[in-house]
Amino acid sequence: MGNYTVGLVGAGGIANSHLPAWLALGVDVVVFSIDGAAPALVRRHGGGRVVDSYAELLAASDAVDICTPTFTHRDLVVEAADAGKDIVCEKPLALSEADTAQMIEACERAGVRLYPAHVVRFFPEYVAMHRAVADGALGRLAVQRFLRAGAAPAAPWFSQKELSGGLVMDQMIHDLDFARWNAGEVTRVYATESPSLREDGAPEPVTAQVVLTHESGALSYVNGVWSRNAVAFQTRFEVTGDGGLLQHDSLANPPLAFNGTADEVSGFQPSTPFGESPYLTELREFYHAFLGGPTPRVDARDGLAAVAIAAAALRSIETAAPVTMDVQR
Amino acid sequence: MTQEPRSTEPNGDRPTRIGVMSFAHTHASGYVRLLAAMPGIELRAADPDHGERPSGESGGASLAAELGVDYVDTYDELLAWRPDAVVVCSENTKHRDDVLRAAAAGAHVLCEKPLATTSEDAEAMVRACEDAGVTLMVAFPVRFSPAFRALKERYDNGLLGNVYGISGTNNGKIPGERSWFTDPELAGGGALTDHVVHIADMLDALFGGTPATAVYAQANGFFGSDARVETGGLVSITYANGVSATIDCSWSRPPSYPVWGGLTLHAVTDSGLVDVNPFAQRVDGFSEAAANALWLGYGANADEAMLAEFLSAIREGRRPQPDGEVGCRTVRIVEAAYRSVSTGGVAEPSRDSARA
Repeated sequence: MGNYTVGLVGAGGIANSHLPAWLALGVDVVVFSIDGAAPALVRRHGGGRVVDSYAELLAASDAVDICTPTFTHRDLVVEAADAGKDIVCEKPLALSEADTAQMIEACERAGVRLYPAHVVRFFPEYVAMHRAVADGALGRLAVQRFLRAGAAPAAPWFSQKELSGGLVMDQMIHDLDFARWNAGEVTRVYATESPSLREDGAPEPVTAQVVLTHESGALSYVNGVWSRNAVAFQTRFEVTGDGGLLQHDSLANPPLAFNGTADEVSGFQPSTPFGESPYLTELREFYHAFLGGPTPRVDARDGLAAVAIAAAALRSIETAAPVTMDVQR
Repeated sequence: MTQEPRSTEPNGDRPTRIGVMSFAHTHASGYVRLLAAMPGIELRAADPDHGERPSGESGGASLAAELGVDYVDTYDELLAWRPDAVVVCSENTKHRDDVLRAAAAGAHVLCEKPLATTSEDAEAMVRACEDAGVTLMVAFPVRFSPAFRALKERYDNGLLGNVYGISGTNNGKIPGERSWFTDPELAGGGALTDHVVHIADMLDALFGGTPATAVYAQANGFFGSDARVETGGLVSITYANGVSATIDCSWSRPPSYPVWGGLTLHAVTDSGLVDVNPFAQRVDGFSEAAANALWLGYGANADEAMLAEFLSAIREGRRPQPDGEVGCRTVRIVEAAYRSVSTGGVAEPSRDSARA
């Protein structure tokens, strides 16, 4: 019996956060990517073994970690489930509720676990806030706001809605999921989005605004931005209830700041300030569940609910009208 | 055809007479203090409905004495004094009657926000002032803040390029000093009525009066369990130029919050992301005696800039901004928000029935 082996599929942006986390957990990692980027990925992080096909990866793995573009998730997850592997899948689980349901069904049929990588649930500032909310520190939740803003992702598939779902499905799903985690099931969704292309076809900044009504009567506002400028990545939240409020701005209160230091030093900006990588926290929780430990804080049903909310927002943008959601139990 | 308001007759050194109609709105005291400190102003106030407000709420002759302003018992006496202009600070649903009365007496009007609680009232007020040849300005001070002015100047000069989306917050405590704010008969509504119009006015200023075409709103009443009006709300507005703006208008600041609340704008533009926070300038601290944070704001006084614009406009006989038309457009947005809350759908703001 060899060491526990994780098959990492894809070698793009998010694989660069997942591979070092798996290596830190002491598991063996095999990597497969169709774009030829796997060798550079394992060199960069000093671990992992490149394999030449998905079949080879499945044969070598106890569990798989799907870090590929969204439109490939469904088929890769179904194949891994059929092969009897436990699965971590990047968010969103899929581009539609139907595809997501099909993936969940395949995993249930095969008796394997499926966990969506909604990593914001593992970021320490969000964890601190959610714990206080869950402990009742804010009383009854009333209105919450979330902002997530950054430069538009460079890989071209992100900007194609049929491949990524666009800003709402790919990026804002983090906060849509979190809003539901805090305030419960969502019954109504209204959304607007700025056009992504100029009339001449040139790309523009994209921003979307989503208003959620929860079954409890609480309201959530989620704002996402894919900027064309070199903006610093920034998140904000404000959560309010009849007993108080909590706020956070990722650019406020830096634990280390330089002013007037030599250039090579001042360029240093810790992206995850001095704590454990939330990706490591996340993958450890999933890994322990694979080994028979406690159920993680986010499961495939949450992933499905998040896709459903994002899909409702996209329908709302298309129809310029609110969308009513059935609460699934 | 819009008639230019008449100017106050430049009558040698005669001071400008300003009448304050009602102390119902808490802003009245601030306006009185600022006006009293300005040169060439003669001030007089009347607060005839003070007796109808709960005992313990400041107002009437005693508040006038505290503020050091001349006081008369009735609006008739106040208007018989022939003020050049009045500042209307009555309860929201009384604005229409009070403004019509002042206009009939030939006084220019600065009316506390919101201009009215229905577009019908707001439009009637605009027409009455036009017919009487007097100015109607709405008390939206935040557009006079240096932070917003600097934003607008950059936008007007093309430095920001296009605006793609705006998020606004205007959050405060449930107004506790005056009970009428949570009385639907007198206030016309709660947080939607009180806190959407400031940001709607700023966007009206930024976009040069571009009207809203669609409004979606949701509201709840979880803050202040005994309030009879909505205390939490989100309003999404789509403007004719394609820009969407979502406003959090909730009275979400707890009763012991160190300040009244705040107002912010966040805009997505061709030149990146822009934050506007007119109340950001402050010294932070803590008071052991108050067992609370100390926030000492030291930013520019936007009320003062707004009052100065009103005074110079009536003295020069020009039309100040924000005028009654701005007031109407902002009222139509709030009216549509309530329609959206009650139908659950998207509502289109009304158009001026008399001008359509």
